Amino acid sequence: MAEDRLLAVWAALACLLVVTGALAPTLASARPANQIPVESVRADENPQRPTGEAWDAVPAVEVPMTSAPSGLPNADETSIEGIRVQSAESDGRFYLRLSWADETADLNASAPREFADAVAVQVPANTSVRPPIAMGSTRNPVNVWYWRGDAGTEELLAGGAGTTTPFERPAVNASATHDDGRWTVVLSRPTAADAANRTTLAVERDVDVSFAAWNGSEMERSGRKSVSEWYHFRLGPGPQGPPYESILWTIAGLAIVGVSLVTIQAVRNTGGGAE
Amino acid sequence: MSSQDTTTAAGEGESVDLADGVDHQVAMVMDLNKCIGCQTCTVACKSLWTEGGGRDYMYWNNVETKPGEGYPRGWEESGGGWQSSDHSERSPGEIPDKEDYGESWEFNHEEIMYEGGDQPLRPQSDPEWGPNWDEDQGAGEYPNSYYFYLPRICNHCTHPSCVEACPRKAIYKREEDGIVLIDQERCRGYRYCVEGCPYKKVYYNAAQKTSEKCVFCYPRLEGEGPEGETFAPACAEECPPQLRLVGFLDDEQGPIYKLVEEYEVALPLHPEYRTQPNVYYIPPFAPPQHSEDGETIDVDRIPRTYLEELFGERVHDALDTIERERDKVDRGGDSELLDMLTDTNPARKYRLEVFDDA
Repeated sequence: MAEDRLLAVWAALACLLVVTGALAPTLASARPANQIPVESVRADENPQRPTGEAWDAVPAVEVPMTSAPSGLPNADETSIEGIRVQSAESDGRFYLRLSWADETADLNASAPREFADAVAVQVPANTSVRPPIAMGSTRNPVNVWYWRGDAGTEELLAGGAGTTTPFERPAVNASATHDDGRWTVVLSRPTAADAANRTTLAVERDVDVSFAAWNGSEMERSGRKSVSEWYHFRLGPGPQGPPYESILWTIAGLAIVGVSLVTIQAVRNTGGGAE
Repeated sequence: MSSQDTTTAAGEGESVDLADGVDHQVAMVMDLNKCIGCQTCTVACKSLWTEGGGRDYMYWNNVETKPGEGYPRGWEESGGGWQSSDHSERSPGEIPDKEDYGESWEFNHEEIMYEGGDQPLRPQSDPEWGPNWDEDQGAGEYPNSYYFYLPRICNHCTHPSCVEACPRKAIYKREEDGIVLIDQERCRGYRYCVEGCPYKKVYYNAAQKTSEKCVFCYPRLEGEGPEGETFAPACAEECPPQLRLVGFLDDEQGPIYKLVEEYEVALPLHPEYRTQPNVYYIPPFAPPQHSEDGETIDVDRIPRTYLEELFGERVHDALDTIERERDKVDRGGDSELLDMLTDTNPARKYRLEVFDDA
């Protein structure tokens, strides 16, 4: 009798192990919050093209967006709710593919009331410190990679809202397509930096990044924009960033084991009392 | 947010409100009784500043018929300015439509002038609106219809809501003379100044992708011309009836100060926008109304209520003051006020160098 019961307990434990084993891989692949993986891709797979095959194998992160806090008129009326982000590296060049829903491709600002669609990425000039999210500060500036439907690409330095200044020799390229109600824009830049205040991405640590987008037909421009919170490019060694998911899974796993052990103990005690 | 800073002239009790951080304030007085609507000012400005390069549709100086839609059409209903006189909160404004400005039409000059065509000279498009589309229409019923011309430039306001509207501080009021300018290097064409100006005197240049505006011909004021001479803005100097006085509001010996601050007969347009313009107008008089049988009757042809809409309630006192002074002259008396309004001496009409040694 007692041996049968012991057997049952061992069987339950074994089942638990199996379940844990099955869950473990999910645990291992759980991406820390707000992380954007940077994959290595082959240059001949056209990462500069929004439709390049290089992007097929690069995981995408869905980044939610909200209206940026701003004193500008109608600043809370923005229309872009999220942006899909992929990033890759190839032959010393860093690529970022951004894709978001926008029914109309606004490519002109040729009339007083016309504004063009745009997207921007900010990274800290100094990647060891996280700058204020609203375009950095004087002491902690950001690099802005900016693409606009009517004006192409700009590489800007900013130390707070309203301070963007173009780099003398811009190093950012962009290619854009609008298809089936979505913009897809690839921004790229040499991974290493060759100018003062230009962010280097040739680093062994994670790099903060955040995003902004403007819908021209809704007269979004300047501080009237959709923005994300801080994310980071995974460039550092090992798992980086606050691994909330992993921590939660570990706690859950321990809890399951704990509950099982208590249950086993309780079952054994009850069994002992009946004998 | 800007607060009022009162500069008091030394030794005298009078004072002039200048913007914070501004040494002197350029100002202009336009006598609407002299405007014949010839558009020479408009053309002088256009040929100097806004020919080509994305500026064809812009008239930094325009002359519109009042009552009328104006340029851009309906600008008086387009919002902008300040909500209260403490200048803490702006009123929302709208960017006018391209159609409200009117486009620069291409004409069939080539066919008519060089190819011997016999069709009339006309735009190659089929426009439905443009600047001065309603020219000389005015209001009222025959024989008591009325209109007058209103020349308009940037008011170089003491509390410019365009400046406050810019998120990049690209538009600013310069220290030496209060001229409002757009730094073309800083401007990114966001057009918050365009919608923020209640007079709609900032224009978007789609070719340059920046906004542009009247610069009060500051290079002429600074003597940047070939002879190093100082000139008043082209709109003033080129005016055939010479209806404009140019100088500084805080030049207490000049006619502008006297007309604005002492006699209070020169008034800002739409003071209720609360930007405190530095272009002032002598309100227009018109012959009195006629009765049905052609007799002159003692009724204002231009309704006072309409003038009040444009220039605020101070227009009554201004008109009364001018009328009183005219009566005085009619009776053989002297009037400093009428002397100033009829002065033809350019040295007194354009006082631009009074603060040069300051």
